[in-house]
Amino acid sequence: MNGTVVKNQLIFDFASGILGPAKSLFASTYLQLNSNASKIGSTFENMLGENLMDNENIHPKNLKYKDCINYDNDKSESNFKDPVSSFFGNLNNLQWKQVYKGFKEYTASINDKDELKLIKMDPGVSVPLHSHGGKEYILVLEGSFCDEYGEYFKGDIQINDQKIKHTPIASKDTGCVCLSITEKDVIFFGKYGSFLNLFTFIKSFFKQK
Amino acid sequence: MEKSNLDSLMKRIQKDRDEMAFSDIFDFFAPKINAYFIQNRIKIDNSEELTQEVLSTVWVKSNLYDSKKSALSTWIFTIARNKKIDFFRKNSNLNFKEEDIREFLYQDREIDLIEENEAKKQIERINNELDEQQKIMIKMNFFENKSHKKIADELEIPLGTVKSRIRHILTKMQGFLR
Repeated sequence: MNGTVVKNQLIFDFASGILGPAKSLFASTYLQLNSNASKIGSTFENMLGENLMDNENIHPKNLKYKDCINYDNDKSESNFKDPVSSFFGNLNNLQWKQVYKGFKEYTASINDKDELKLIKMDPGVSVPLHSHGGKEYILVLEGSFCDEYGEYFKGDIQINDQKIKHTPIASKDTGCVCLSITEKDVIFFGKYGSFLNLFTFIKSFFKQK
Repeated sequence: MEKSNLDSLMKRIQKDRDEMAFSDIFDFFAPKINAYFIQNRIKIDNSEELTQEVLSTVWVKSNLYDSKKSALSTWIFTIARNKKIDFFRKNSNLNFKEEDIREFLYQDREIDLIEENEAKKQIERINNELDEQQKIMIKMNFFENKSHKKIADELEIPLGTVKSRIRHILTKMQGFLR
């Protein structure tokens, strides 16, 4: 499957309501930042809305329309903040963990099989060549980065699987902040590779407790 | 019921808090929403409770619905879907109310959502392109959230065929979703 199919799959699964909490937060942020993705999302939700319109009828036995009318909290107002700041709060106040110089991450405590992380890279910092044990989803929240496959700006996502090896570099001017989902641990190659693999190995050891 | 009728009923609810208009919306949607929950493998006691929550939300938050941005059925579908997610996740330790976030998709956006007309055209094109079985598969997979295995059993076709057909549908739809 190519990248676009995987991206659409993420949007469709979000619209269907079958994503876990980590991917669901990731996908809603993606739809918020990327107008093309949000158009695809609303087209698909309209299709599912038509399914509801034409759905079969199973009449509720113990429910009358009066049961749904309530004047107590009438005229609700939305108190919306964007998904990332609702969940993480002010990003500057987080306890970022430095993985190496110029590369920090913050792992969300979220009850899910997928790991949700924020990644912050200083201007010009690169990640050693690595591939991925499972799928990894990266969404740019601020700034940009580039790798062998292209340049990624705010609202762009990159989905990496086992076949992809790459060396992302944060923009020299802005650095970047990204939201990432990891389905399984990443495998590193190159200069710091063995160290980072050891690090992920040790981390996974502690996680099992 | 015609979409235009639904829209005018909704306007009466928004403007006048018209309970009779709401009872018509209730009569039309309650059985369909209830069926949606049952199709998603929620037991009948809970499905009715969730149906009540959905329609209470429609009443209370009617001022958030904008007919220019989506069809009423789409808005109600997303409320029902969100109730379903909350129901399945009751035990997870999320520390934010996700519903507030998802509501965002329907209002106050800097980027304008796709207009209803544009969505309608796109859906028409997709519907013309998909055959009956493909439409049924989309409904089973994304609306009823059935596993590929279950779809294979119900349609009496091999599992591999279901997987490849769904992938084919997704690739095909991609051409229309730009």
